[in-house]
Amino acid sequence: MSPSQQPSSHNPTCLIKNRFAHRFVRALNNLNIKNRSPHDENQIYRRSHRVKIAAYAAMASVVGSKRAWSRAVLWKVRNRSRNQGLLVSSRRKRVDCKSKTSNDHHAKVSVVRRRNPNPKREDLDPFRYSGQELKLRKLVPGAATMDSCCLMDETADYIKCLAAQVEVMKTLVDFYTTT
Amino acid sequence: MNPQFKPKLHSGSTTGCDTSLLERQQARTKWQQNHAFFNGDDDDHHHHLQNMFNSMPLTQQQFSGLIDDHPRLDEVKPDPGMQERWPDFGGGVYGDQLGYGYMNQNTLVNQTFLQGNSGSVSVSVSPKKRKTDEGQSLQLVSEKEKRIKGCAEEGDSKITHQYSNCDNKSSNNSKEASTNTSSKEKSKVSEVQKPDYIHVRARRGQATDSHSLAERVRREKISERMKYLQDLVPGCNKITGKAGMLDEIINYVQSLQKQVEFLSMKLATVNPELDFNIDNVFMKEMFQSSTSEFPALGCSPETANSAYFQLSSLEQAVSCCGLDMGMNSTEMALRRSISVPTSVPGTFMDSSCFNQIQPTATWDADLQNLYKMEFEQGTLIPFQSHQFTGLNEGSNLKMEM
Repeated sequence: MSPSQQPSSHNPTCLIKNRFAHRFVRALNNLNIKNRSPHDENQIYRRSHRVKIAAYAAMASVVGSKRAWSRAVLWKVRNRSRNQGLLVSSRRKRVDCKSKTSNDHHAKVSVVRRRNPNPKREDLDPFRYSGQELKLRKLVPGAATMDSCCLMDETADYIKCLAAQVEVMKTLVDFYTTT
Repeated sequence: MNPQFKPKLHSGSTTGCDTSLLERQQARTKWQQNHAFFNGDDDDHHHHLQNMFNSMPLTQQQFSGLIDDHPRLDEVKPDPGMQERWPDFGGGVYGDQLGYGYMNQNTLVNQTFLQGNSGSVSVSVSPKKRKTDEGQSLQLVSEKEKRIKGCAEEGDSKITHQYSNCDNKSSNNSKEASTNTSSKEKSKVSEVQKPDYIHVRARRGQATDSHSLAERVRREKISERMKYLQDLVPGCNKITGKAGMLDEIINYVQSLQKQVEFLSMKLATVNPELDFNIDNVFMKEMFQSSTSEFPALGCSPETANSAYFQLSSLEQAVSCCGLDMGMNSTEMALRRSISVPTSVPGTFMDSSCFNQIQPTATWDADLQNLYKMEFEQGTLIPFQSHQFTGLNEGSNLKMEM
């Protein structure tokens, strides 16, 4: 909610921010209701992890299914919750699940690489399958199977949303700390 | 120009080739006429012609010479020997890339009218130009053709201008006739030019054109998005080159993600000590800071809230009911329907509980309306699912704690 954005009342980023703030605060409330005082360090870590996931999930749900990255995030969150629902809450199993998902991610990337029909292209277009782009694919959720054009698009949107998210979270932290 | 152009571009069939051959034949003869008329049978005439348009004082003699030569050249025109000799005009350019050579000759004709000596230069330059321009968009091609056409027209006007200006010994009638014929020939040139040029593109580009076009489009798209990204990422404007930009983008995304992590950590540590009132404050602050946007946006968060409540009543009311039940239901409904987005935590939980336990008619109706609105917006399904997942997430979090 920087003052510069106040005049543009119909700015989509403002809308996104507001919705995100709503959802995120709600999720935080849910967290707080359940667990009021995690004094253990381990618990704090888990809690921060949960807050992070809640933030991502809130952002993704605000963006909706029109974006690939939000779809990927939501899918991941849903899978996570489903798995955890089945597996109760055992930490080791969650770790297993996590590693599994990361393996899946890598596998996807490698599949994409293998699928490339023209191996010469790789040399011709250094941008396309460069290490940087692979890095970017790992950073942006759900970007493993995109072409580079979509990747740029998704990255732009993702950056926008992340920036909004960070801003809202900063204001939240400010409010929590000052009062 | 384009409608003519498009089918030709995509015509890979043999019929197209046949017709194009015919056209080429016709064009060849026509060109021959033109060439014979304008440039003369030999280099001398060509030279004369060029000089004529370059230098005004010399025009008289050469012009008369041209007129004198004209009938003779007309006689020469149907000569088969000329046709045999004709491929030599283009030199090595002819053969496979016949159309190119032809185009070049035409442009040469045009440009000799305009620029005189520089026409010969254009012969050597234009094939390369065509090759580089080959894959470019149709607009450019049409523009080019227009330009060439304009060139021809300009040439025409110039010719007439010069002809009318110069006071030569030959009679006015002959002058007029010559200008007429020349303009006619000129128009013929410009007419012939178009289809042949198109045909050339069709013939040459077929194998690589679609690929190169697609590739170009793709690259353009990527660069466009990179530009967009450049605007988004701070400090990315100074960097040139895709690699550097990608690096910057990656760094930025990483930093943002780290920031989110850090902030969530902070929130996690800070949250427990401070109770729910804070986000009330936060909401108020948001409301104050963005009062202008909330009346407009008030609807959507509200619908979100209501949908959330509905879903939450289905999902997790069991877990959250029984906190504090002292809230007045009508008051809640009022607050919600006014769409003041104050989410007092206690009340928020309470409302869902309330909705679960004793659903009043008004509240339900309200919900239904809002829900329908959401449906009309066409975002119900994803919305629902996201709510669901979010809730799942939330409930899971609760379960874990």
